[in-house]
Amino acid sequence: MKRMAETGAPQTPMMSQSWVTLVVVVVIGVFSLVSLWMGFQSYGGEHPEQATYYIIIGTAGFAAIGYMFFRTKTITTKKKPKVPKVDVVTILECQSCDLKRVRDFQRGDYVYKDDEPCTRCEGTMLITGIHRRAEEKKKR
Amino acid sequence: MFLQVGQLLQNQNDLGMILQTLFSLSFIIYLFYAQRIQAMTMLRQVEGTLRKVKEIRDEGRHISIETVKEFGKSENDPSTEVDRFLEHFLIPPVSLDPAGIIGKLGQLVNVRESTFEAEVRAMAPEASDSEVNNLENLLEASLALNVYYKVIRHFYLLGKKTMNIYIIMQIHMILPMIVREIEAYSSALQAFKNGMPIGDGVGALVAAKMMHGHEWKDVAKEMVAAEVPYNGRTLIVTKAKGPGGSVGKPGDAVENILNGRKGKKKVKAVIMVDAAGKLEGEPTGGVAEGIGAAIGGLGIEKYKIEEAVKAHGIPTYAVVIKQDISHVVAPMVVELYNACDTAVETIKRMIDEKTEEGDTVLVAGIGNTVGVAQ
Repeated sequence: MKRMAETGAPQTPMMSQSWVTLVVVVVIGVFSLVSLWMGFQSYGGEHPEQATYYIIIGTAGFAAIGYMFFRTKTITTKKKPKVPKVDVVTILECQSCDLKRVRDFQRGDYVYKDDEPCTRCEGTMLITGIHRRAEEKKKR
Repeated sequence: MFLQVGQLLQNQNDLGMILQTLFSLSFIIYLFYAQRIQAMTMLRQVEGTLRKVKEIRDEGRHISIETVKEFGKSENDPSTEVDRFLEHFLIPPVSLDPAGIIGKLGQLVNVRESTFEAEVRAMAPEASDSEVNNLENLLEASLALNVYYKVIRHFYLLGKKTMNIYIIMQIHMILPMIVREIEAYSSALQAFKNGMPIGDGVGALVAAKMMHGHEWKDVAKEMVAAEVPYNGRTLIVTKAKGPGGSVGKPGDAVENILNGRKGKKKVKAVIMVDAAGKLEGEPTGGVAEGIGAAIGGLGIEKYKIEEAVKAHGIPTYAVVIKQDISHVVAPMVVELYNACDTAVETIKRMIDEKTEEGDTVLVAGIGNTVGVAQ
């Protein structure tokens, strides 16, 4: 049976979609600028209603660009993995010499498991903690 | 150049007429189709979420099948059995006459647990007891993801079929909360597959920290207890039996311990420690203390504990470690791990304040003990 997860859109079309979006944004941006400029030019002229139309078109163009930017942001950013995988560490402590060591989690580890021999003395290291690797705080 | 472009549109009357028509047309369209446009926008958002949930659900199923194969060392493909498991359901008892409903619910849950265990053992005959428990938890997480997916799909298809904005709004309004829960369950897959301690296991970890190094014995199904001397008092510390993923039967454990003290000194206080949901703005790993039975779930175990302490006239105190829903079934974050030491100190202070030398205190660590022994 073919699974739907395997039929998802590949990464490459999304990248090309982002280029198309960029071109569309640039074209709309140029026309909006022209429209706004024409609107301001004709504002003090004989036909102020025409200026209003130009300004409305220009503003609408920029509004559309803003909308497209927010809508396509998620597509253009790097695709996140479907199921997140986190780094988990295991803390080991020697009961004899208090040596403490931190290593990557291995399957089969659990808290209060007698694990590997101590590298400093004859004792056995005990797993005293398992937790996710602390994330660095984001700088503002 | 701009002047040349401007000259193209010299005939302002024509342009004005076109724009006026466009505006009028869009106004009329919006007047009649505003709700439909809104419904379509919401449906698109639901559809996007549905795709994402489907990917997570499929990944959960895939991980479950691979893990069953790995633990079970069976040559048969367990896909059919896993798919059957993912469609499992429980019919709650009738609540029109609520008297005795806890007993009925308890019996249903017991049957469900034994059925799940038997199914997992059949799927993975070579798996150890801990691995069976972890597999059960993993399959239950996948089952939950499957239910979420099917419910969202139901509302999406029903909304699309009827284009009824009120049907679509029902799912659209709660979508952000549902997505958070789904993301939490997706994190659980890694934890249960590898047997890592999870956020919900803080209660069990606190109890393990207090009882480690002391002789323990079984006191109820998948529950252990140890007598620990502390400051002239005797602490009876109980938790689910680890390191396999299990919450045990804390209600039965508390009941058995309290009832089994005939001829011995009466328990002076019960202190329960568990994970609790935090409100936005509260820090992860905050420790708070209060009164009452700190235990979640369907309410069966809470009922048993409340009945037992009432029968013996014992005060119940609670210590909770606060966490976000995204942390509950995900591998334990460092803030929660550090909070366990704070919780141990809090419990010791409470014992010092509320009891006297020679007293006996029951400390119950509640939560899933995956990745935590005793």
